Amino acid sequence: MTPENTDTDVLVIGAGGAGMRGAIAAAQAGRRVTVVCKSLLGKAHTVMAEGGAAAALANVAGLDSWEAHFADTMKGGKLINNWRMAELHAKESPERILELERWGAVFDRTEDGLIHQRPFGAHTYPRLAHIGDRTGLELIRSLQDALVHTPGVEVHMEVTVVRLLLAAGRVVGALAYARADGRQIVYSARAVLLATGGAGRIYRVTSNSWECTGDGTMLAYEAGARLRDCEMVQFHPTGMVWPPGVRGILVTEGVRGEGGVLRNKDGERFMERYDHERMELSSRDVVARAINSEVAAGRGSPHGGAFLDITHRSPDFIKRKLPSMYEQFLKLAKVDITKEPMEVAPTIHYYMGGVDVEAETGATTVPGLYAAGEVASGLHGANRLGGNSLSDLLVFGKRAGDAAAEFAGRQGKPRRIDKAQVEAATEFLMAPLTRPHGESPYKLQSELQEVCTQHAPIIRDEPSLREGLEKVLALKERAAEMGTGGATTRAFNPGWHSALDLHSMLINAEALFRSAIERKESRGAHARSDFPKLDPKWAQLNLMVQKGKNGEMTVTATENQPIPYELTEVITQSFQKYTPEEHE
Amino acid sequence: MAAPSQELLRSNPLPADTIQLSVTRYDPAQDAAPRQQTYEIPYRDDMVVLDALNWIKTHMDGSVSYRWSCRMGICGSCGMNVNGTPRLGCSVFLRDYLPGPVLVEPLPNFPVIRDLVIDMTSFMEKLSSVKPWVISNGQEPALAAGEHRQTPAQVEQYRQFSMCINCMLCYAACPVIAIEPHFVGPAAIALARRYDLDSRDHAGQDRLRTVTGSDAIWDCSFIGECSAVCPKGVDPAKAIQQTKFESTLGMLLPWGGVSK
Repeated sequence: MTPENTDTDVLVIGAGGAGMRGAIAAAQAGRRVTVVCKSLLGKAHTVMAEGGAAAALANVAGLDSWEAHFADTMKGGKLINNWRMAELHAKESPERILELERWGAVFDRTEDGLIHQRPFGAHTYPRLAHIGDRTGLELIRSLQDALVHTPGVEVHMEVTVVRLLLAAGRVVGALAYARADGRQIVYSARAVLLATGGAGRIYRVTSNSWECTGDGTMLAYEAGARLRDCEMVQFHPTGMVWPPGVRGILVTEGVRGEGGVLRNKDGERFMERYDHERMELSSRDVVARAINSEVAAGRGSPHGGAFLDITHRSPDFIKRKLPSMYEQFLKLAKVDITKEPMEVAPTIHYYMGGVDVEAETGATTVPGLYAAGEVASGLHGANRLGGNSLSDLLVFGKRAGDAAAEFAGRQGKPRRIDKAQVEAATEFLMAPLTRPHGESPYKLQSELQEVCTQHAPIIRDEPSLREGLEKVLALKERAAEMGTGGATTRAFNPGWHSALDLHSMLINAEALFRSAIERKESRGAHARSDFPKLDPKWAQLNLMVQKGKNGEMTVTATENQPIPYELTEVITQSFQKYTPEEHE
Repeated sequence: MAAPSQELLRSNPLPADTIQLSVTRYDPAQDAAPRQQTYEIPYRDDMVVLDALNWIKTHMDGSVSYRWSCRMGICGSCGMNVNGTPRLGCSVFLRDYLPGPVLVEPLPNFPVIRDLVIDMTSFMEKLSSVKPWVISNGQEPALAAGEHRQTPAQVEQYRQFSMCINCMLCYAACPVIAIEPHFVGPAAIALARRYDLDSRDHAGQDRLRTVTGSDAIWDCSFIGECSAVCPKGVDPAKAIQQTKFESTLGMLLPWGGVSK
């Protein structure tokens, strides 16, 4: 089968929030844009976001400011964030939210008709613009509606990119395949924007969707780009635990934002002992570890979690503010959350690590390659605050889209695509089909999930991490002989696709274990029982992962750019406390 | 604190050890026509149809093809016909179909790509045809002026219509689409209505015309199947009725705008 050839200015890989916002920006700058996405348009993982988008609009708390948002983000990230990204994010989020509102996004409103904002963990002020508890759906829908009438944008759905193509050290295209019929497509592009999301599916218990297999991290890594902070994986404190079929599904932090409290099996409000000040609205790393400790001490709920209780709010309030949660528990767990507590436990939720990017532009270390959203790294440091992801997508999706467009505009006629690279990528793509009964990708996938779940849990230690790494490397060897689970057809072959996914997942897992071994301290989401304390010298260091000369994965500790004095002052400044009025 | 739920703690008795699923298989490259294949799988009380399909794919037959993503009824990927009714595979329990077998087929009214996977291209075109965005009156102030003011009551006007997750269940259930495939259809009309009812929108009769331009909307006899199958409580049938009403009003009153 001869590959189909397509030429474009900016190739956007991924159609979640960052990809769509980037595509709109690049097209508005006058470039021809092609968006390729692994699922159908509108189904990307962003759609599952619930609580809201953080932006210092100061609609509910007049005291809020970019400074306060910046300080919260840096403190939440335990200071290893890319401070410039945190600054840009805090300053530009309000504008991006207002823009989305202009495009037609629905938001809950204050009585005065302003965008309403809800409190969330580790945000000093109520800051999350939201619509009920389905903010992600609205964000996707608004961006999709804007995308389809932006001239110059083409969308290729259910197309999976397998490799990036390089010429003279620059990214000039990609090889992909279309799921509907298995045909190969060679894209030539003047710039490529990665917006592929995270890799939560390398764990067994996760809130992440089918899509989150770390494809962009893999593509960037294979193209020679640098990855950063790969040890930083967020456990969301509250996922569903029962029944088994729904284990890991997200219970929005909005429940705690709207007043929900956590209790152990003895009825004790245990957050008192872990963060007396912020209680349930502490940062996610702290709350997740607290629940973990309660369970370990034998004070867990029947299925190994904690009770999350919002029954003190009126049924009306709950159904209005948390309609999806109400429905989700009623349907899936037969629990009426207006009458009974929910049972919750930590679930893998977000990748703080990913592709290292320049703050202003989203440029990776490989010319022509940009990244934005969860696939990129830096904004969130060692721990992401709830609500900072949706605003991240908008702020840096736009910035990366602008920069990719600008870069593409500076390129002359398209570089010639190197035939040998296309052939090598094609061989890799087609290999599972040539040995359908080779190692089962489904089996390998579930084994990998077990390894990550067991060896890179909330509390880690070196011997177990090393064992995990060995297991990942052994799986990698077996994966070289991977088949499709039996089917040889090219049309919508799920086993074939899983084999390709697994390749991405293995690289993400290897980067996670190698980095986690190196960071010999506890910081944010990375907690080590053998190094239980925060070590100030590590505050200056980020771990960078890159492909070495002989194809081996290397990890290097790199000194981060010092935070300018005036921003250090912002971080250490004390912000006036907000006392909420009862808003029921 | 309220006591832990008895429902939660109760271990459900198993009514059966296994259950049968009859799944549509079809590969246009190889098969002359779709056929049903039966799988017998271990039964658990909390299993949804999607769990069952995932179990089959992982343990019995790696070639079964279907779409899925979020597992929580928000992405709208896993629409399929379950015992003849359009449902989301992730939200429909096997326990409601005991003792089985459970019949799982692709959504009707769409071409089939393979097994349970349908071709949605026509729908994506229909969606954008209704101009699903806020049409301004050309007097937008700069962003620095802040958001449009919209009261909670004004949001309530259209909020329900904005819950659509494009899952295609209403198209599968629609008797008009079955006869007239060009009909713009329930979800697209609900989406048009969502923008028409939005206080920020100034489309006037513009969007309405794109919806009522084809005759098919008048063939809808308010059977309401679309609203009955909607997993998100959207009421496309109401949107269609309102659209017909507005359109008639527009014909009678030449200056007629959309009432908000």
